[in-house]
Amino acid sequence: MPEYTVLEHSHPRVDAWEKVTGQATYAADLHLPGMLACKLLTSPRSHARIVSIDTSRAEKLPGVRAVITGKDFPNTHFGSGGLKDRYIMARDEVYYIGEPVAAVAADDEMTAQEALELIRVEYQDLPAVVSPLDALKSGATVVHSDLPKFEGYGFAAGGPNVCTLLDADRGDVEQAFHEADHIFEDTFRSQGINQGFLEPMACAARVEPNGRLTVWASTQGPYQVRAQLAGVLGMTISNVKVIPMELGGGFGAKLRLAFEAFPALLAIKSGHPVKLVNTREEAFTMNGPRLPTHIHLKTAVKDGRITAREAHSVFDVGAYLGAGPNSGVGHALGAYHIPNFKLRSYGVYTNKLYVGSYRASGVADMTFAVESHMDIIAHKLGVDPLDFRTINAVKEGDQAVGGARTPRNGLQETIQAVKERLGLPKKLTSDNPNEARGVGVALCEWRSGSGPSTASISVNEDGTVSLLTGSVDISGSDTSLAQIAAEALGVKMEQVIVAERDTDLAPFTGPSGGSRIIYSQGKAVQMAAEDTRKKLIALAAERLKLSPEALSCAGGRVYVQDNPPQGFTLGQLARQSLTSKGGPIIGTAALSSMPYTPVFCTHAAEVVVDKGTGQVRVTRYLQAQDVGVAINPMSVEGQLEGGVVQGIGRALTEEIQWDPNTGKVRNPSLATYLMPLAVDMPQVENILIRVPSPDGPFGARAVAEPPGFGPPAAIANAIYDAVGVRIKDLPLSPERVLAALQGKDTEIKMDVEALRRAEAGRG
Amino acid sequence: MPRFEYLEPHTLRQAVSMLQQHGSHARIVAGSTDFLVRWRTGVWKPQYVVNLQHVPGLDRLSYSPRNGLRLGALVRVRALETSPVVRQRYPALAAAAASFAGVQVRNLATVGGNVCNASPAGDTLPSLLAFDAQCRIVGPQGERWLPLEQFFLGPGRTALQPAEILAELRLPPPLPNTGSLYIKHSPRGAMDISYVGVASVVSLQDRGRVCRDAKIALGAVAPTPIRAASAEAMLRGQTITPELLKRVAAEAQRLARPIDDVRATGAYRKDIVAVLTQRTLERAIEMARGAEMPFEVQRRLAVQAAF
Ligand SMILES: Cc1cc2nc3c(=O)[nH]c(=O)nc-3n(C[C@H](O)[C@H](O)[C@H](O)COP(=O)(O)OP(=O)(O)OC[C@H]3O[C@@H](n4cnc5c(N)ncnc54)[C@H](O)[C@@H]3O)c2cc1C
Repeated sequence: MPEYTVLEHSHPRVDAWEKVTGQATYAADLHLPGMLACKLLTSPRSHARIVSIDTSRAEKLPGVRAVITGKDFPNTHFGSGGLKDRYIMARDEVYYIGEPVAAVAADDEMTAQEALELIRVEYQDLPAVVSPLDALKSGATVVHSDLPKFEGYGFAAGGPNVCTLLDADRGDVEQAFHEADHIFEDTFRSQGINQGFLEPMACAARVEPNGRLTVWASTQGPYQVRAQLAGVLGMTISNVKVIPMELGGGFGAKLRLAFEAFPALLAIKSGHPVKLVNTREEAFTMNGPRLPTHIHLKTAVKDGRITAREAHSVFDVGAYLGAGPNSGVGHALGAYHIPNFKLRSYGVYTNKLYVGSYRASGVADMTFAVESHMDIIAHKLGVDPLDFRTINAVKEGDQAVGGARTPRNGLQETIQAVKERLGLPKKLTSDNPNEARGVGVALCEWRSGSGPSTASISVNEDGTVSLLTGSVDISGSDTSLAQIAAEALGVKMEQVIVAERDTDLAPFTGPSGGSRIIYSQGKAVQMAAEDTRKKLIALAAERLKLSPEALSCAGGRVYVQDNPPQGFTLGQLARQSLTSKGGPIIGTAALSSMPYTPVFCTHAAEVVVDKGTGQVRVTRYLQAQDVGVAINPMSVEGQLEGGVVQGIGRALTEEIQWDPNTGKVRNPSLATYLMPLAVDMPQVENILIRVPSPDGPFGARAVAEPPGFGPPAAIANAIYDAVGVRIKDLPLSPERVLAALQGKDTEIKMDVEALRRAEAGRG
Repeated sequence: MPRFEYLEPHTLRQAVSMLQQHGSHARIVAGSTDFLVRWRTGVWKPQYVVNLQHVPGLDRLSYSPRNGLRLGALVRVRALETSPVVRQRYPALAAAAASFAGVQVRNLATVGGNVCNASPAGDTLPSLLAFDAQCRIVGPQGERWLPLEQFFLGPGRTALQPAEILAELRLPPPLPNTGSLYIKHSPRGAMDISYVGVASVVSLQDRGRVCRDAKIALGAVAPTPIRAASAEAMLRGQTITPELLKRVAAEAQRLARPIDDVRATGAYRKDIVAVLTQRTLERAIEMARGAEMPFEVQRRLAVQAAF
């Protein structure tokens, strides 16, 4: 590894002081003169026609300044992916309990709340469907009868409520199954999950004197909000400015337009700034979570190697395709090289809150299924589960699902590291007759995120540099970007100022999500720093009358390589630049995409299972991840641990419960939706593997999302190791574990044959 | 959040007369940990809030070998957890307190509030029942005594009449050679409502072979916390054997009438009643036979998720 002066050093976050002293400004902290409070009226019906809405009494309530309903917005559909399937506020029909039907702006929240109670909505109930497997059946209740008319709808197969189908095929699957020594089939289900961001959604809007709209939002994607907001309001994007505020957690939930349109239209209508702050309950009932997923895997094995896989996954998307539900499709292969495959992912509408993104949507579900399935196969074949994985793992040069060749990576190193640290294979025992112990592993794979990225760096007269990007800080990404800039320019961290940003100031940048900030945005920063360095050297060369090749830029100076004392500080150069031919020094860079770079990790969990109650406790958790290079090791470890904590919650206790008849969220609070606490966490051990990626900044790979994938499968596998029961349904709650221990049938049933038939029928 | 008038009585009598004056528009508060949640969500909309915190002496905790434990209604759950005499003589109560919410909430929550809130899942309730707590109630007619077992009428419903206040709980001194434990089953290791809670108190005789007295109380498996009387009867006067404990546990399971809710199914809760009854009995017997069980061990046993 090269000698770095800033990278590979743990730096506290650049914004740590503001945050720990409570001075950072979140959207809810905004107080603008004359600001009104916004509250939303939501549908109490699962599926109904809106016969009438009478807002007259609410409008007359003293303190109420504006009331809006769906009909106040332009009659345009919008969508989060390609499919435009929803209105920002219900117009003629409601499709789930919790769907916004009206909004009020009033002098204070209490008045707004009171006004909601005065709005009369007459509904006419329509049949609803809540279970995704029911929604797939032919003859099922149809959620959107106008689905074929939606812009972006491309096909009609798989069932009446299927709104998307992703597929991937290679080789001859049938032949491979025909020639197989063994065929294995399993069905898994993963649960609905809330992203668990600490800061419920908040936003505010104001109409400026020049008619432009300013929006303050808790968002990961200010440019996405700008585009979608302009769309639903019928404005041009140049008339909307989005100011991203401090982000109190997002995890994908804040990638797109959320509720900003309501205060925006109320601001337009009332002439006042308007703010909306969700309650925690609303964070559960209105903000797109992940919904349940059913996954069926069928695998052919010959001579100990996997030769084919067929995968069918059904992603419940709720009432709208709020987010790509099934980025999981290709991940049905896991971290393995499988020559023949047929992979299908269906997105299915139901009358429930629509789906949102969460930490690599769909991949965690797939990882649970694939890594449990791998374990089942290994045990049935009588091979060590880790050896079975090692043999079948992807290698450099293998063709990935998308077609790209797999570049050099550290997958095998992560497996080896976990094996050595834990001393695998091993058998854990307990001297308490009420409990049993076990260990389980899981491999995770993902890719480093791509997408449009821009950066500019200007050099100030005092030798500091200002870094401007359009990326919202997420998990300390500003600090890491500053480190990249500092390393590339040879300055100290303290010399880098990360500029405030909004959509007017910074050029278009993709959202802060999808494991893309360090890999892609970081690359743009590195390139901008190199551009800056080149300009600094050129200016110095001109002044010193030397060739640029004779100069170096490091330690905050540009100097002559053969005579280091001769040169200029960056401050001197910046001052000179003001009167130079080229003018002030500013380096820029932009890119639209980055090459395929995989990310791999190996996870292991040790658990103790209470055989009397089914309670599972994780006693040790170990992960090894190939990070390429650790830009900020402290931040990388934080990301890894945070992911595991979320993954353990997903594995053991978290589950959104929907009423099976109405689709109403039954546990919209942190008292009933059980996110784990510090006391529930084992010590999480991290091993950072460093196999530099060919393309990332300084060889960095994405770090962000994969740590969350491993725990459900690693823990399920550890439970199997401990007590010999296989749970294919998340979470691995005490009740499920006990049912399995009691020998009850806990298998998940899913009609794969119907999906195969539907596809065949389509020809 | 609706507004209310805030009242601060300095004597019990003053508190009673405030309650009398404002009738059903008034609500008494102690630690307010239940109150604030319900007020914020609009479930409770009192026009007057009567805060008991400034009535002197109501937070007294004292013990005498003759009269047992006296707990003022304002005694904090944290005080139950940390009090040496509670840990020593009423371990099931200290364990219940340790299993309760988190430290911040325990610092505010009162034992009187837990009792008057009358949640079937209230964590101190099974232990208080198993220790035969008596309630001193003060009201417009003066003072009366009521066994805690008769205090609970249903979820959130108590035997308190209008303008009555729970002033004190009294727990008789335990018999010699007594052990006790509370175990709470909840998937999270803290800040979780109990899915099932079981308290057992066992007193032994004949050098620890025979059960002199046994009390078993179950939480979160019926509309109120309940005593498992027929299960207790199976133990009294009997020689203790593992088979007997199993049968007692099965009887407790039979007595449980839990519902399905967002946390667990009733069937699962019934299964857990048997497991926890057996385990609390086993541990209580060990303690009654003189086994050392440091409080940290009891705490870990009490919160089943943290085993
Ligand atoms: C985050 C959180 C976690 C919790 N976890 C647990 C837990 O693990 N286990 C558990 O059992 N509970 C738990 N609770 C519930 C609550 O903390 C307890 O019920 C607590 O004991 C209530 O006491 P308090 O003093 O705060 O009562 P308050 O909120 O002040 O009052 C509760 C009720 O009792 C009435 N009341 C109070 N004192 C008297 C009195 N002396 N006479 C007559 N009526 C009275 C009030 O009018 C009100 O109806 C939790 C609550 C929160 C907010």
